[in-house]
Amino acid sequence: MECDGMDALPDGVVQTILSQLSNARDVAACSGVSRCWRDCVPFLPALYFPRSAFDAAGGADDAIGRMVEAAARLEELVIYCPFSSARLPRWLAMRSASLRVLELRVDSAADKAAAAASGAGSAHLDCIGVVSTLQELRLWGLTMTRAPSWGQMQRLRVLEIVGAHLEDLAVSGAVHACPNLTDLALLGCECAGAVSFTLPLLERCRLDFVGSGSCALTLTAPQVESLEVQGFNWIVLQGGDRLKRLTIAKNTGSVYSVGIERLPVLEQLSLRGVQWSWGAVSYLLQCAAEVRHLVMKVEFCGDFDTLQPFPEVDLVEFFNTHPKLRRFEIHGAMFAALCQKNSLKNVGHIYIMLFSCNLLYYLPMLIVSLTLQLDSRFSISSLEEVLITVRSPLNAEQKLITLESLVCCSPRLLSMVIRISQMKNCHEASDEFFEEICKFAHVNKGRVRIE
Amino acid sequence: MAATTADGNKVDEAVGGEKSKMITLKSSDSEQFEMTREAAVMSQTIQHMIEDDCVDSGVPLPNVGSKILAMVIEYRNRHVDASSDSAGEKEDLKSFDESFVKVDQPTLFDIILAANYLDIKGLLDLSCQTVADMIKGKSVEEIRKTFNIKNDYTPDEEEEIPRENQWAFE
Repeated sequence: MECDGMDALPDGVVQTILSQLSNARDVAACSGVSRCWRDCVPFLPALYFPRSAFDAAGGADDAIGRMVEAAARLEELVIYCPFSSARLPRWLAMRSASLRVLELRVDSAADKAAAAASGAGSAHLDCIGVVSTLQELRLWGLTMTRAPSWGQMQRLRVLEIVGAHLEDLAVSGAVHACPNLTDLALLGCECAGAVSFTLPLLERCRLDFVGSGSCALTLTAPQVESLEVQGFNWIVLQGGDRLKRLTIAKNTGSVYSVGIERLPVLEQLSLRGVQWSWGAVSYLLQCAAEVRHLVMKVEFCGDFDTLQPFPEVDLVEFFNTHPKLRRFEIHGAMFAALCQKNSLKNVGHIYIMLFSCNLLYYLPMLIVSLTLQLDSRFSISSLEEVLITVRSPLNAEQKLITLESLVCCSPRLLSMVIRISQMKNCHEASDEFFEEICKFAHVNKGRVRIE
Repeated sequence: MAATTADGNKVDEAVGGEKSKMITLKSSDSEQFEMTREAAVMSQTIQHMIEDDCVDSGVPLPNVGSKILAMVIEYRNRHVDASSDSAGEKEDLKSFDESFVKVDQPTLFDIILAANYLDIKGLLDLSCQTVADMIKGKSVEEIRKTFNIKNDYTPDEEEEIPRENQWAFE
């Protein structure tokens, strides 16, 4: 069939083509091409105003208003460029019957000044409540001092707030207005105090709270499958029955307590932070008996402000209580705590190491005979991948024994990666330890390597 | 999903009996192409024709030329075969799609029209997206030039437009 190019395409097809465009600049250009193209604009489902859309010329608010008005069936609206929040209610009211996805960057300087002046930090967000069809809401750079008056956003499934200043009661109230969320993400949010969320349909949750105040989280989410939290000192989770992936981190400060009833189907567990209460760590490890992928990266423990090293953890007991463990990542201080205090019998090894703090010299370490007589039935049957970070040469021989045991007792081991970090070469013990590790890696080449 | 007609039994036999039956498609320039029923029904249009039982002597496609029909058949055969979920397969399919639409404009529009007529969603989306990608980032004049589009605005209307969308042209 002969085709005279674009002009010969039926209108429905042109509409399909133009519906793939959402960048506001492209849409504006298309409206100017011909009448037929302009008539397709009301059918476009999505509009996206990038950050720099109106940099050179002004008139952002008018242009946004015009385009939103023209797009009668608008389903997705994304505005990253600065706009006046006073205009938002009108735009949303125009499209309240069709809008499903809304993403706004609300941190324009003008708004902040106005908000600071009037004391109402979230008034401009109230108008979002009028969009009853909304399914996904993403807000950037927000300040929320009181819960917005949204009524009940029954259809909302996804809520994401990034880079915000939130009052704890305000954010609890906002989430309370969205009872049917399946996905909740509050990232890079400055918030202190106590937040509480009850979400019966929640499946995925990511909370990243920054700032210096202390923070408590209570989450009731019986369907949650994936939970990642950072920045809370106290955590209570009601409903771990479906939880498969759990990450708890605290980049500064301490984790004092974690309350979870049980984690019967947990596959991945990741504990990170500067300081955790040992009670919290051991409780979680107990709950996570079925875990397959475990990451432990905590520097210190201790229930109060004094930082303490970890109590010893028996290697055999640890792996016997986590029989499905396939991937294991352990760093620094926690690795140092792994030992074989309860299970090693008749270990015969002779070593001579004289190490004097004052003189910094020592005789070489001689491990003449190293016989491990672990219970011969002991086997780490599922372990396939190990990543270990070693930071200090203290307790060198215990660490080497642990490495040896891991390799010897894991029939399925595919790879062990040893990361050596922060062992500066001003200390000869570090060098010696490093050499021993290299020897160990060499002996087990193929399975062990150093990074 | 068998069509019910007056001779219900006869249709059932035809549709249900031979799943791997070959269908003949006839292009506008009278060339014949064979394809399996399974691949053929990726086209909603052809599927309806089969259900209405008018395919005995081949399916006539007066709107589709042989060159384009051959390409459409290639697309469908490739996509019918790819049923696994493996990442490798998906990558292969993606690169097939990418090179499939690297054709000149007239051919691309012919593919779009064929996909539209035959109602093959995947191919229609793919080809329309390709054209959309060609529009992105261009100014009004550039778009008109690329696609040879006639400007049907009156001079007065033309003046209005740039003023309204001035920001898009900076």
